[in-house]
Amino acid sequence: MDPTRTDLSQADDALVLRAQNGDHDAFGELVNRHQRRVWMVCRQYVGVGEADAAAQDSLVKAFTRIGDFDRRAAFSTWLTRIAINTCLDELRRRRREAIVDDESDGDNELNHLDRVPDDDAGPEGRSMQKQAVASLVAHEKKLPPRQREIFRLRFFAEMELEEIATVLDVHIGTVKTQLHRAVHKLREELGAYR
Amino acid sequence: MKTHLEEHEMSAAVAGLELETTAEEHLGSCMTCRQQVSATRAVIDVRLGELEAETPDWDRQRQEIMLKLPLRPTVQPFRRRPWARPLLAIAAVLVVAIGLRVLWTPTPGTDPGVVSDLPVEQILAEVDAMLADDTIPGLELLDQGMDDAIFENGAS
Repeated sequence: MDPTRTDLSQADDALVLRAQNGDHDAFGELVNRHQRRVWMVCRQYVGVGEADAAAQDSLVKAFTRIGDFDRRAAFSTWLTRIAINTCLDELRRRRREAIVDDESDGDNELNHLDRVPDDDAGPEGRSMQKQAVASLVAHEKKLPPRQREIFRLRFFAEMELEEIATVLDVHIGTVKTQLHRAVHKLREELGAYR
Repeated sequence: MKTHLEEHEMSAAVAGLELETTAEEHLGSCMTCRQQVSATRAVIDVRLGELEAETPDWDRQRQEIMLKLPLRPTVQPFRRRPWARPLLAIAAVLVVAIGLRVLWTPTPGTDPGVVSDLPVEQILAEVDAMLADDTIPGLELLDQGMDDAIFENGAS
């Protein structure tokens, strides 16, 4: 953890302590600091249409349960875990409510990510970079669920590798391996664009 | 001397993973490899920029969240009790020790279906009668001796 991150985490701790005693202003400041990250995480799981609602839900849950936060992890890590769980609950609910059961992808809950609404890559782009981005979006969706999840948390939610390992409850080595494989595949797919 | 990064090293560099020293040194000095890494990163960054454009109005979102908050958190802060852990450890040891003793102590075979053959009531009645009887030989002598001893000690 770099010094800036440590300072931020310590400043979070003071706010958390106040929020645990019901201080709304302190929690408002925590929201201010972390809402972007929470939204970005939710965006990766439930899509842009539901990201706002999921992010709000996650942050309200965080306040409700802030008494449970024991400072063993950084507040941002704890909050991200809540956001991911909230999104997975939402995806499970959607799955239960789905009238037409599409192709069965097995029992792995990560397959919920396959139901994330498609990102609107748009028609053929004019520039090379637009095509490259469209290709990235298309091939990123074809990655195995765990690889896609780690790739998105790393690059779009801009999380550190250790933090990803903590929130997903996997070994850091797994995160590194899956991320490496994801980037490797995407670079292969990008081919001429890269 | 390394010519260029291999594909797996290139992917590791894009992912921000640690590289071997030779690969790291090469990347620092090779413009071609650096360009390849940054070109892939640029594509990812453009995608991130697209996602950023979808973000909501943060002030509005915060206000909506603040309106939804309950007055106080429902779960009270976790309070550490330094004495709790050793106390729990002692309690656990006691429970185990007592449990083992109970398990290892031979219990008399108390089969509820078997009634004792001994005439318990009769034995108890005889013992009571014996204790109540002052004429049993020996008891008078014992009493007499005790009286003498008390007398002698009190006189000295």
